[in-house]
Amino acid sequence: MIARDSDKLRNVYLISGLMLFVLLLPWIPMGTSSNYVLRIITTAILYMILALGLNIVPGFTGLLDLGYVGFYGIGAYTSGLLTIHYDLSLWVILPLAALNGALWGILLGLPTLRLTGDYFAIVTFGFSELVVLMLRNELWLTRGPMGLPGIAPPSIFGHALVHGWEFYYLILFLLLVVLFAVTRLEGSRLGRAWFAIREDEIAAQCCGINLIRYKVTAFAISASIGAMGGAFFARWFLFIHPDMFKFWESILILCLIVFGGMGSITGTMLGALILIPLSEILRIVLPQELFNARFLIYGLILVLMMRLRPEGLIPFERSRAAKALKKKKKADIARGEGTL
Amino acid sequence: MNTLLKIEGLSKAFGGLAALESINLKVVPSEIVGIIGPNGAGKTTLFNCITSLYYPSQGEIHFRGIPIAPRKSEKKETLVRRCALIFFFLALIWVPLFWSAFLPQTYFQFEMLLAGLFLFAIQVFLVRGLRKLEIWAWGLMLVFLINDLIFSLWWLIYPHENLLLTGTEISAGFLAIPWTIATLPFSAYFLWQLFQKPVRQLFGFRVGPDAVCRAGVSRTFQNIRLFFNMSVLDNVKTGFHVRLKAGVLGALLRTRFQRKEETLAEEEALNCLRFVGLEKKAFDMAGALAYGEQRCLEIARALASKPRLILLDEPAAGMNPRESARMTELILKIRLNGIAVLIIEHDMKVMMNLADRIYVLDYGKLISEGTPDEIRSDPKVIEAYLGKA
Repeated sequence: MIARDSDKLRNVYLISGLMLFVLLLPWIPMGTSSNYVLRIITTAILYMILALGLNIVPGFTGLLDLGYVGFYGIGAYTSGLLTIHYDLSLWVILPLAALNGALWGILLGLPTLRLTGDYFAIVTFGFSELVVLMLRNELWLTRGPMGLPGIAPPSIFGHALVHGWEFYYLILFLLLVVLFAVTRLEGSRLGRAWFAIREDEIAAQCCGINLIRYKVTAFAISASIGAMGGAFFARWFLFIHPDMFKFWESILILCLIVFGGMGSITGTMLGALILIPLSEILRIVLPQELFNARFLIYGLILVLMMRLRPEGLIPFERSRAAKALKKKKKADIARGEGTL
Repeated sequence: MNTLLKIEGLSKAFGGLAALESINLKVVPSEIVGIIGPNGAGKTTLFNCITSLYYPSQGEIHFRGIPIAPRKSEKKETLVRRCALIFFFLALIWVPLFWSAFLPQTYFQFEMLLAGLFLFAIQVFLVRGLRKLEIWAWGLMLVFLINDLIFSLWWLIYPHENLLLTGTEISAGFLAIPWTIATLPFSAYFLWQLFQKPVRQLFGFRVGPDAVCRAGVSRTFQNIRLFFNMSVLDNVKTGFHVRLKAGVLGALLRTRFQRKEETLAEEEALNCLRFVGLEKKAFDMAGALAYGEQRCLEIARALASKPRLILLDEPAAGMNPRESARMTELILKIRLNGIAVLIIEHDMKVMMNLADRIYVLDYGKLISEGTPDEIRSDPKVIEAYLGKA
């Protein structure tokens, strides 16, 4: 009993310490590199959001999705165009971008989610390529390869955001919103249906789960989170270009998930937090001529990961088991004759 | 007594192989019906047909009056074939229309002609598929009919004066109006027909396993199909899926209704686990259970959806005598709760103790039915199992 209490206390200290660190991060004196560090952390958090969104499809529902960056691009261009042409506030754009992403997710998902496994992955891959082609060629809408410069930064209560720390808090807030949504979905009837589909499609069907409906829902929610990430990205980076949404990005986000542990929320977040700043760390550590070899190091890390810990840093099963254990502590199961 | 499940003349063929041939079967409420037969006799295929995982080639399945696999309607079949022909003739006129609509504006005249011909080729292919009642043709047909509707409306609304100037446009103008008049009502009628249930069924649109579960049939599987990476309790809660209603918004906002539903599901799931005697393992991972416990868990999951009929596919396979005796007890307990049981089993001792009636399958045919005693002394059954003397 006592041991458990002290355990709990330690957890409370740990979590509150972590939160304090996260909140005060922009104010830790780092001299001239402060802005640089903040920018990297903001990128990492953006990728955490993207990874959380993508995690719903391959992690929860068990469908390999190689076209996630397509939704990211759709969100970014929705945000950029709406800002340039209509000068809408970020708080209007975020839900609009999410809706647009969900719309394309449903349009893509409805006909293709009947496909299984690799075939579905190839279709999504094709979709992301289509999005890039469209962004590159529809000059009247997207200005094509000239990109979309001159996007205004967002403003809150009439105050335009300029400093790095302001964007840091903004993305932190977005992360909290997404995290909140994803954890709630995970623990709900919907999340259970997704897990069931991932574990065994036939058994899930025979439990009364409509496969197409739940797969499309997963796809739409994942797409809308991706589009929201894109919407933030456009207002933060202030310039978007079709090349930013190439296939490589999809693979990178997928790598974050695989590295962190497919299906586990903490795992995917940890994956993004480690792998994204790694690129910058390598920039410092590696000599100049070897810098372009950093992708090799990514590859090496993934290969080692598959060899040593194929289920990821924080595996899905273990996080489920921990959750069940937590519940067990709360529940008391009185013995008795069961009735139906 | 009213029947719960009624199967009439059910046949299922895989390619040339007839897995089931004109099976007739009946289950009344709270009855235990056994199905036996040598390996490959089609017992599991029968279960898959009942749960709508397969669509039968022929025959009907009704559950409490709900058609799981209804009779195919000949009348609708000829109707669809005729509609497909009319569609084909309309498509013949449609190609020059399509072409001329783009002609004055576009730079890519040759490409547009090719596109028109390509679309026509697809339509020909589509009509062929439609006459064979292929499922992909159904979906493609919807797209083309909606397209035709929009196109004909466009012809009605578009100002024709400047279109009639060039030579090609004159023929188009003459074609367009009769085509529009023919297409508008026809497309609307055909669309309406395609959405009718008897026509949908022609294309093999089944009710779907989820709908069958909602109607009150649940099943277990021969090779255990649990959600191994979820806790035992979550497995059973997944079985509750059809009895809960919360959707995306409910989950995000965690409304009071949704919370109430979740606690209810949890209590009932624990109840189901108590029923099969697994409540102590409620928070273990399903993959960590022993083989016999996994079988029990599958039954608990099937019971969670409050079925009227439960299909058990070899529940006592690979169990020792004590375990199979406990399984027998459990199945009797299920029956006491007013749930009918349809059971496939190889263990004759279990079967003779349990079943009220037994059906014997051999090579997809029903060779005998009756009470356990009748079956035991039926020479046809003995021949199927032991061979001819």
